Amino acid sequence: MKPPTFDYLRPSSVAEAIEALTAYPDSKVLAGGQSLIPMMNMRLARPTALVDIGRLDDLSGIEANGSLKVGATTRQETVLAHQDVGGRWPLVTSALTHVGHPATRARGTFGGSIAHGEPASELPAVMLALDARFTLRGSSGERVVDAQDFFLGHYTTVLAEDELLVEVEIPDASGSAWGFGEVVRRHGDYALAGTAIRLDTEGDERITQARVALFGVASRPIRSAAAEERLVGTRLGDAAAAAAAGRIALSGIEVAADSFVSAAYRHDAAAAVVERALLEAASRGRGES
Amino acid sequence: MTLESTAPASAATSATTPQPGPGARYVGRAVQRVEDPRLLSGRGRYLDDITLPGMLHAAFVRSPHAHARIISIDPSEALALDGVVAVYTAKDLEWLGPMVSAGPMREGVVAQSRTPLATAIARHVGDPVAVVLARSPYLAEDGRDLVDVEWEPLPPVLDPLAALEPGTTLVDEALGTNNISHLEQSVGDVEGAFAEADHVTRIRFHSGRSTAAPIECRGVVAEYEDRAGGRYNVHSSTQMPHLLRMLMAPVLEVPEGRLSIKAPDVGGAFGLKCSMFPEDIVIPAVARLAGRPVKWIEDRWEDLAAGVHSKDMHCTMEIAATADGTMTAFRGHFVTDAGAYSSIPFTPLVDSQVAGAYLSSCYGVQNVAYAVDNPLTNKCQIGAVRGVGWVPGQLAREVAIDQLARALGKDPVELRLQNMIGPEVYTTPFGQTYDGGSYTASLEKARDAVDYAAFRERQAEAREEGRYLGVGFSPFVEPTGWATSSAAAGGLPNGFFDTASVTVEPDGSVTVTTGLHSHGQGHETTLAQVTADELGVPMESVRIVFGDTDTSAFGMGTYASRSAVLGFGSIHESAVQVKDRLVRLAAAMLETDHTDIELVDGAANVKGVPGKSVPLQQIALFGYFGGPARPDDVQRDGLTATSGYSPGETYANGCGAAVVEVDVRTGQVRIEQLVAVEDCGVVLNPTIVKGQVAGALANGIGIALLEDLAYEDNGEFVSGSLLHYLYPSTTEVPDLTLHTIETPSTVSVGGVKGVGEAGTISAPAAIVNAVMDALSPFGVVVEKTPMTPEYLRELLRAAESNGSAPAPD
Amino acid sequence: MESRQGTVAVELTVNGEKRVAAAEPRMLLTDFLRHGLGLTGTHVGCEQGVCGACTVLVDGRPARACLTFAVQVEGGCVDTVEGMAEPGALSDVQQAFRAEHGLQCGFCTPGMLASTEALLQENPDPTDDEIREYLSGNVCRCTGYQGIIAAVRRVADERKAASRDA
Repeated sequence: MKPPTFDYLRPSSVAEAIEALTAYPDSKVLAGGQSLIPMMNMRLARPTALVDIGRLDDLSGIEANGSLKVGATTRQETVLAHQDVGGRWPLVTSALTHVGHPATRARGTFGGSIAHGEPASELPAVMLALDARFTLRGSSGERVVDAQDFFLGHYTTVLAEDELLVEVEIPDASGSAWGFGEVVRRHGDYALAGTAIRLDTEGDERITQARVALFGVASRPIRSAAAEERLVGTRLGDAAAAAAAGRIALSGIEVAADSFVSAAYRHDAAAAVVERALLEAASRGRGES
Repeated sequence: MTLESTAPASAATSATTPQPGPGARYVGRAVQRVEDPRLLSGRGRYLDDITLPGMLHAAFVRSPHAHARIISIDPSEALALDGVVAVYTAKDLEWLGPMVSAGPMREGVVAQSRTPLATAIARHVGDPVAVVLARSPYLAEDGRDLVDVEWEPLPPVLDPLAALEPGTTLVDEALGTNNISHLEQSVGDVEGAFAEADHVTRIRFHSGRSTAAPIECRGVVAEYEDRAGGRYNVHSSTQMPHLLRMLMAPVLEVPEGRLSIKAPDVGGAFGLKCSMFPEDIVIPAVARLAGRPVKWIEDRWEDLAAGVHSKDMHCTMEIAATADGTMTAFRGHFVTDAGAYSSIPFTPLVDSQVAGAYLSSCYGVQNVAYAVDNPLTNKCQIGAVRGVGWVPGQLAREVAIDQLARALGKDPVELRLQNMIGPEVYTTPFGQTYDGGSYTASLEKARDAVDYAAFRERQAEAREEGRYLGVGFSPFVEPTGWATSSAAAGGLPNGFFDTASVTVEPDGSVTVTTGLHSHGQGHETTLAQVTADELGVPMESVRIVFGDTDTSAFGMGTYASRSAVLGFGSIHESAVQVKDRLVRLAAAMLETDHTDIELVDGAANVKGVPGKSVPLQQIALFGYFGGPARPDDVQRDGLTATSGYSPGETYANGCGAAVVEVDVRTGQVRIEQLVAVEDCGVVLNPTIVKGQVAGALANGIGIALLEDLAYEDNGEFVSGSLLHYLYPSTTEVPDLTLHTIETPSTVSVGGVKGVGEAGTISAPAAIVNAVMDALSPFGVVVEKTPMTPEYLRELLRAAESNGSAPAPD
Repeated sequence: MESRQGTVAVELTVNGEKRVAAAEPRMLLTDFLRHGLGLTGTHVGCEQGVCGACTVLVDGRPARACLTFAVQVEGGCVDTVEGMAEPGALSDVQQAFRAEHGLQCGFCTPGMLASTEALLQENPDPTDDEIREYLSGNVCRCTGYQGIIAAVRRVADERKAASRDA
């Protein structure tokens, strides 16, 4: 299965990259290529030009002073191995161990996995759970978009055709409890249902703020307002609250049925992963993992 | 992997230098493989590594519809693309003979004829209708995109049971029926046994649709040499070079002598590569038309959509039993969803008939009946894939036996042992004669391997905690050494002819050619072990040659776990003749009687007279160039012999056992332990046997839990990628527990029986039984494979809403 | 900005040697290695990045060559199975695979060897679970993985013993 013809562009700056995206209307960004190239090999995606941003130093790098700033083309394996990320944002590290396999993490980028808009991938949901902010840059300038507003649907985000995701910023999350879980057919596969959870508590472990982000269940990663409301005010680790939050996790959400599994299955699977992730969050403690 | 053997075989895993001694020196030893150095260093030569000068690349235009009339094919846009050289359709190939699936040499099987490119009707998603030739595979696909086919979609036939009904749409109108074959057989008083039974268990089981999916897909490189009457050289990733040649020659309208099939290193096959496919004909044919060599490499979508499918079978299984647990009758009905074409040469009967004909397995049931049907549908054809119909047959019977045990309140192991045949030679009601086995011993060994009594305690404790563990057993009998006798005994009579040539070269080294083939089984090693022992030479001096019809002795190829038996036997038949000549030559050279000569370690020695010896190299020189001093037969026949071997029926046996945990919330199954006890008779190389069993078990896990080829209600094929068709990976295959028992065959040369499919046959039923055992508090009945999380949740949800589920914690 | 339309010369260092061959931008690294450079040891099993047969090392990191355009990595270093040992010799990893029967048909093997090299670079003493997890992106249809896990374990143990004795 060979890809169709395209022009290959290797800009030497972000500005050149944006110019190229503008000049070539049917172009796509090539970062790690781990999601795009299989689709091109199967001729499901046929961009007439690829703008290779994989070597732009400006877009790569990790800063962990206060908030976490990750350049969009930082390789997934680099983020996975980073000590500070593991120490203060363990939800990110935990999720990354489930993203593909070593060879895909070596080339796949942190930003690429977010910008691709695959509803069953892990990182987008983690971004929702951690209130991440995305810096986008295009021909009309730069803007910052909350993760909550970024994902629109299957392979669709707010990114305009001439816009690049440049940087991901994740606010400090030390002190939060966190949980992660997914149902996959095999290790590294796309999830049939999954959750990334972040909980803030005060005093006697009462939950003051909950982020229950789901992936693999809808056309985009999505937070469960129903589960979050149910959890606020309950104690971290409360089994009944965890079970209830799991049961209602998909209320108000249009659940996908596709060639992988049915909506009914997703309900069952989501209930299980949410409940279990909540209980794990309690037994794990928070912050330093 | 926990390895243990009850036979006196060597434990060494790295022995390449054997200890000297009389008798067998290599057979039975874990000799390191001869093939490994080249394969490990990336110097194997597989089909896509072959390049011929001027070669063009082919891409096939295939039907996106399950069933459609071809209104027109317009190649003009494709031909206008720079780099596209030609586009051919069926009308360019009218000079070919038809591809005919005649089936076994018996009545009751409809023969089907097809053209290699569909002429008027496409019958499944992926059915090829045109081929594009271009200067690169990239350009060939570009050209393919531009071939404009006008289709008239037709209603697809997708339900095999409905396809059997009279008046239903015909997949192939020329046949006048959808049913390739309805066969029945009944022995004993089956009706009477069911009428008198204290208990009847009846189940339905749908064994899912899976395939071989070797990591290397198919491929063909062909050239037509226009000299001396014209000749095809075809490089093919095939398991059966001579048989493929025999099948292809009449279609290409050449005598077999003008068609050479060359199989290079083959990257796995598992049955994908023992059929004749349309592409096998089209590529040589268009190489001739284009006057250039042509290469086609199957891509993964084509492999999954349009290669062969396997084991999709709707089974009904009934067991009649007395109250004390004696099984008095088996009755089965097996309907194979045959796909659109009866595959060449094995037909869908390779699934349905073998499920039925071997129904009594290792049990002493004397009243046995089966019926099989093989309806065509608008799906990919069914071919011979690892385990074939023994897999669904095993599922149907072993799941039914567990159900019977539950109904009678009996332990499933005890119930089986109670009904099992003894280890002696045994003739089944259908007339198959087993050559001795270890039926009860292997079940007992499997039971011990899972620590059965302790497991039941652990299971009970786990249930109190709301965790669901289960154990399942699956004893089996597997015909191996498949050739004329076995095929006849299985109701699929066909002639088989397998030979080997053994030649001692002038320098005393040995060249063996065989009509078998190796695509992972290590025959270059095991057959060298056999040869070395036969002739008393060091293994390093033996070379095994196969794969090329121009240079290898005739044979039927490798599949059906046949090569140990056929290989050992045919090499023995030839080696015995050559050895006899060597011995008499040596006797002449050493001036002694031939009964005093023994061949050891590459030399002829006089027994009991150390120092009186002549090396094989000198004997060989004498044999070739010694003039009239040589015996007459040596002068005439030299130091080479080619002989055939036709074994009697051989049957391996064993038992699979699985311990699983089911996550009842998500329907996921974790295999805690998977056991295989394998009795394949005398073992040629214990490491290779274990490797075969392990690989087969992994495939069995896939069939039980992961692998599924699915069609939508409109015929659309949705499993054309490896994100949908799921291979078991390292995280789905645990450490396996492998035991061997060696019950030498009473029938074959060397007492070998053959191995390769056993784990695939046993594991799915063991895993299904384990899951049902785990979920018995819920009363769920598993009726199909694969047991996906979705399917198990569906069953559990139904149990929960029926109130038949245990109270959650 | 560099741009490529149509066929250009692409230069890579492969197994320590500077190599160049013609490639369109769309040419996959698998095809560049196999047909552009004649290094047929790297195999193609799916061209969708699932089976791992095509795994090579790119700039020392594991990569699925079927999900890489040759032009993407030009100027970089690629290590394939052909470079793992001198002709006629076998590396310690290759020998371990042989000793433990970690291959049958050999088609997935070069990719499996590359992933094993990458694993042991990152984690010289992996547990069996870590071995399984790391190699879960390399599919084998023949072996059932038993010999493969044992081979990786064997090399790790041998290297540990060697460095202890060194």
